[in-house]
Amino acid sequence: MAELDAIFVGGGFFGCALAAHLRERGQDVVVVERADRLLTRASYNNQARVHNGYHYPRSLLTALRCRVNFPRFHAEFADCMRDDFEKYYAVATNGSKVTAAQFRQFCDRIEAPLSRAPAAVRRLFNPDLVEDVFAVREIAFDAVRLRERMAERLASLGVPVLLNTEAVAVAQAPGGGLELVVESAGSRETLRARAVYNCTYARLNKLLVDSGLEPLRLKHEVTEMPLVELPEGLAGKAFTIMCGPFFSVMPFPARGLHTLSHVRYTPHAEWQEGPGLPARDPYAVLASAPLSTRFPHMVRDAERYVPALAATRHVDSLWEMKTVLPQSEVDDSRPVLHRTDCGLPGLTCVLGGKIDNVYDMMDSLTATVSTPGTQ
Amino acid sequence: MMTPTSDCFVSVIAPLHNDADIVEAFLGDVAAVLAAHYVNYEIVLADDGSTDATAEKVVRLLERTPNLRLMRLSRRFGRDIAISAGLDTVIGDFVVVMVPESDPPELIPQMIERCRSGVGIAYGIRAHRPAESPFLSLGTRMFYWYFNHVLGVDLPRNSTDFRAYSRQSVNAITRIKDRLRYLRTFGGYVGFGGQPFVYEPRPRRPRVRGRGPGEAIDLAINMTVANSTRPLRFVSLLGLGASLVSGLYALYVLILRSLDRDIVRGWAAQQVFLGLMFAVIFLTLATLCEYVGRLLGEIKDRPLYFVHEERTSASLLLDPDRKNVVTESL
Repeated sequence: MAELDAIFVGGGFFGCALAAHLRERGQDVVVVERADRLLTRASYNNQARVHNGYHYPRSLLTALRCRVNFPRFHAEFADCMRDDFEKYYAVATNGSKVTAAQFRQFCDRIEAPLSRAPAAVRRLFNPDLVEDVFAVREIAFDAVRLRERMAERLASLGVPVLLNTEAVAVAQAPGGGLELVVESAGSRETLRARAVYNCTYARLNKLLVDSGLEPLRLKHEVTEMPLVELPEGLAGKAFTIMCGPFFSVMPFPARGLHTLSHVRYTPHAEWQEGPGLPARDPYAVLASAPLSTRFPHMVRDAERYVPALAATRHVDSLWEMKTVLPQSEVDDSRPVLHRTDCGLPGLTCVLGGKIDNVYDMMDSLTATVSTPGTQ
Repeated sequence: MMTPTSDCFVSVIAPLHNDADIVEAFLGDVAAVLAAHYVNYEIVLADDGSTDATAEKVVRLLERTPNLRLMRLSRRFGRDIAISAGLDTVIGDFVVVMVPESDPPELIPQMIERCRSGVGIAYGIRAHRPAESPFLSLGTRMFYWYFNHVLGVDLPRNSTDFRAYSRQSVNAITRIKDRLRYLRTFGGYVGFGGQPFVYEPRPRRPRVRGRGPGEAIDLAINMTVANSTRPLRFVSLLGLGASLVSGLYALYVLILRSLDRDIVRGWAAQQVFLGLMFAVIFLTLATLCEYVGRLLGEIKDRPLYFVHEERTSASLLLDPDRKNVVTESL
C-alpha cells in the first residue's frame, strides 16, 4: 500500500471525526476499526449527553469549553440531537460538593440557562434530601444516527474505513514514517503513513505496549449503565442530582429508553495503568468478568431522592470500559489528551472524555499537522 | 453451602472509633453472614474520627470486600451522629445498626426477619449487663426508672445500639434533625411498632470500653433534656407552689402581727423560708440553663456532621491470576 498521510486507529467518534477533519484539509487518511461497524464501543455505550457545562461546577475551564462547543456540536449534528425532554438538576442537601446558591452562581458565570423548576416538578423530589431543583437545557444524542452520519460523512469525503481490522503494532518504518501492522480475518498486512493517530480510548495502552512502547498513565473503570423504562408520571423528564455520589437519568434515544447512571454504583471495578504498572487488555477484562447488575442499588438510592422512580423498570444494561486521565479525578476536569510523538515520532495518542470536546481536539490537531498536500 | 435466597436489600451500618484491632474480624463475619443470606446488601462503615489506623485498615479491606462503603467523618462527632450519617445514606429495604465491639453478626438474619414480619424497629436488649460498680449500677437503675416513669419517655432497659429498622422507620428517623441525638429514644418517638430482641453480646475485646461515671451523668442529663420538657414543667409547678407557700406565709405574718406585737422571735422561721426559696430559685435557674443551652444548640442550625470522604469497594474483584492470563493471550 502506498504511504498515507495519516492512519486513525479506532473508528469511534473521535477517530472518525478527526479523520474527516484532516481529510477536509487535503490529507490522505484511513480509519482502522476492529468491529464490523463504526461507533460501537464507548461512543455508543454512554450517557448520550451533550454537555452544556452544568456538570462541572468544580472545573470552570471544562464547563466553559462545554458552553463554547455545545452550539457547534448541536448545529453540526442537528439531526442526531434530541431535546424533546425536560431536564432538571437538583442539588442534594447532604454530601453535595456545591450548594444550590453556588450552583446558581456558577451557571450565571458560564451563562448557562437556568431557572427554578416549577412547583409541580419540585414536588417530585424529597425535600429532606434535595435543597433545590433547577430547570436547565441539555441535549441527548442518538448514537445510532450519529454512527450513520459519521459513516456517510467518511464515505462522501472518500476516507477508506477498514472494518473488522485490528491494529497489532506500530513501528518506525525504514526510511522515515511509520508502519502499522493490521490483522484482518487472520491475515496480517502492513500500512505505511507519515502519522498514526491512536484513538482507541480504552485500548490506547494495548497498542503502545504491544508496540514495545511505554504506556500512558490511565485509569480504567468497568462501568454499568442500566437501560430503563421510566414510570408514566416521569415521561419526558430527565434528572441529575448534583454534586457527589448521586445519580442521573438521561434519555437514550438509540433505544428509546433512559439510562440510569450512578456515581457510586456505575463503576464496578477500576485499575490504573502506566509505566511500571501491570497492563491488562480492558476489553478482555470486560468480556471475562462475571457481570452482575447493580440496578437494585441504583434504583433504591434514586427513589430516596425521587420517590416516583421506585417504579422504574430495568430492561438491560450497557456495560463498557470507561477510561480517564488519573489527574482529572482530583479536580473533576475532563481534558482531552492529545499527546504527540508518543514514543515514536509521528505517533499521536488521543483520549477524548466527552463527545462534544472533539472541536477542542480538532483545533489542537490543526495546530500540529504540517501543511497538507506535500505527498 | 448455603445459597442466598432472600430478595430483600439489606444495609448494615457500623460506627467505628479507634477499632483498628477488631474491624477486620468484624467485617469478615458480617460479610460472610450477608453473602450467605442476601443477594443484595451493603455494609456502611462510618468512621467517627478515629485517630488510630482504622481508616487505613478499612481502605485496604475495600479492595477485597464487595459492597463495602467507608464514610469518614471529618472529626469525632459521637456514635449516635456517626450512625445518623450512615442512616442518611443507606439504601436498603432493611437496615441493621451494630457496634463492632459487642454485637454478634450471626443474629442479623433473625433481626431482619422480625422487621420483615412487620415490626418497624427491632431493638437489641442485652441479656446481661457487663460487670460494673454498684454505684454505676444503682445510678443506671435510677436513670431508667426516672426516664420511663417520671419523664414518660419510652427507653427500654438495657437497650443497645444493635437494632434493625424498616425503610419506613429509617425515613422517619432521618427526618428528626435534633442535634442532641439519642437514637435509642427516637425509636419510641417515631412509633411504627418496636419489638425487643434479647441477645447475648459477644465482646471482641477482653474489656469492653464502658462509660465512666462522669460520662454517664453527662449522658443522663443530655438525654433527659433532649427528650422531655417535663423537668421544666416540674420546676414551674414547684415555683408556683413556692409562691403559694410564700403568699400564705405573708398572710400568716400579717395575722400574727395584728394579734401579737412582739415579733422579733420570727427570725429562725424567716431563715428557713429564705433558704427554701433560694433552693427553688436556683433549681429553676439550673433547669432553665439546660433548656436554654439546648435551644441555642438547635437554633444554630449547623450541619449535624461533615463527611471527609466516601469510598466504595468494587463489585468486581479483579483477580491477579486472571490478569496474567490476559497478558499472555495478547
